Amino acid sequence: MKLFLRVQLPLLLFYAVQMLLVPLLYWLTGEGRPLSIVLYGTALSAAVLAVYLGFRYLRHRKLYIKLNDPEAFLDSASEPLGDAPLPEAVDKLLEIYGREYRDQLGEEARRVDSHITFMNRWVHQMKTPLSIIQLTAEELDDAAADSIREEVDRLRKGLEMVLYTSRLDRFEDDFSIMPVSLRKAVSETVAENRRLFIRRGVKAEIRIGEELQVYTDAKWLRFMLAQILTNAVNYSGGSGKTVTVAAYSQGREVILEIRDEGIGITPEDLKRVFNPYFTGERGREYRESTGMGLYLVREICKRLGHRVELSSQPGEGTSVRLIFDSGIF
Amino acid sequence: METILIVEDDAKLAGLLQTYLSKYGFLTVIVEDFSSVLDAFLDSGADLVLLDVNLPKYDGYYWCRQIRSRSLCPILFISARDSGMDQVMALENGADDYITKPFHYEVVLAKIRSQLRRVYGSYAQQPEERTVRSGPLTLYPERFAIQHGELTAELTQKESVLLEALMLKEGRVVSRERLLDLMWEDQHFIDDNTLNVYITRVRKKLKELNADNAVETVRGAGYRLNIAGAP
Repeated sequence: MKLFLRVQLPLLLFYAVQMLLVPLLYWLTGEGRPLSIVLYGTALSAAVLAVYLGFRYLRHRKLYIKLNDPEAFLDSASEPLGDAPLPEAVDKLLEIYGREYRDQLGEEARRVDSHITFMNRWVHQMKTPLSIIQLTAEELDDAAADSIREEVDRLRKGLEMVLYTSRLDRFEDDFSIMPVSLRKAVSETVAENRRLFIRRGVKAEIRIGEELQVYTDAKWLRFMLAQILTNAVNYSGGSGKTVTVAAYSQGREVILEIRDEGIGITPEDLKRVFNPYFTGERGREYRESTGMGLYLVREICKRLGHRVELSSQPGEGTSVRLIFDSGIF
Repeated sequence: METILIVEDDAKLAGLLQTYLSKYGFLTVIVEDFSSVLDAFLDSGADLVLLDVNLPKYDGYYWCRQIRSRSLCPILFISARDSGMDQVMALENGADDYITKPFHYEVVLAKIRSQLRRVYGSYAQQPEERTVRSGPLTLYPERFAIQHGELTAELTQKESVLLEALMLKEGRVVSRERLLDLMWEDQHFIDDNTLNVYITRVRKKLKELNADNAVETVRGAGYRLNIAGAP
């Protein structure tokens, strides 16, 4: 209403001037008319104006309400504004903008989609050469072969990270929630990464009851475990240390804790460890650090409905906890 | 002796698999013409098929169905794709198992053996038992036994794994990392001390067979089996 009145303000002013002009003319020509007839004429004319404005407002009501507070009507943006010429024209303009916007959005989505497809294909293509290097290195004996194996492991992990990062965008079609045995998932992931443990001389200790199961997606869980374990081993800081993986239930929740005996994280870094590309002071010393591991873990947790917590005592170690909503015993 | 058909369009990878598998006593045939995989299968009389998914002309799923229509032999997929959907596709097209790239030799070998055991009966019933020979030493990895001339000794599973690794590379160094890797257990990390204990036990077994000092320690690197060096 306020906007409507503001739009009509020039008309009202124009009208007021007109209304003053008539008595002025009478006065100038010296034609004496009783004041009452002048006021009557003014009132009559004002009534006609009021009817006109009322009619106009009713025809354009929707348009003015929406123009007054556009944010509030985002959801009903496609609702027609009315059949008066102005609302119709605005409708048409909005529709053209909307179509253009949707077209661009669609094109962008297709671009992202084809990029993801390309990335997936590319990663898969790289896996055959990787297999060949890995198998060839297995046949070699000297120290060089160990070094090649180490690099192949890193390549493999890098590719895996690319794959899972791009899969994250299509998460909805790429997960299935099932009861998963924590003990099995953890020991298989540890075994998969055993070369890393061996190379760093870090021990793995698994303390999880056989019966403990959680509702989750096995593939994503194992990816998260691999990220957390890799961090734990890399930041353990030397051989002879132990990475402990334990799980216990607390009320309705099941908590999986991965604890290392490493150098820990300083309190000022602690807030940022889940940020993408954050590597921190220590991270820069390890070539593996992309700073994406914990970020991905948090993103995956968000989508799977789990929680992730991290606590650390500098100099004593870090522990990452995955918290599952409800377990099965 | 079982024949394995390798359907993999990367010639290098196929060649590596062939070399490795023949070391373990398998006959291998590599498919070269990917427009007639089924013919190659029928000609080879293969007992098991290793099948890649991405192939020129038709994909692995297609050939899997073709082979399935003629034979019940085990088919193992080897593929870079690792999503659940791909594995389901493979199994629904008649595959028996699925190996994702990059893989380790042991995984391929273990899966081949388990399929053959399931389909053609246990190894014990086979006329030929798998053996690893190295000079005068003969290892029977399936029943954990080692023979030297007339003498035989029983081994534990871990000792057998250790000896097999050393014998396959006789005269060359097998790194500690490699041995630790082979001996990894589900729950426990095998540390250096434990490896030392196992090596000591293996040496004792070899001593019982009059093959003293065959296992040499190579400082900072690993261990080497040297039968010729033994008295």
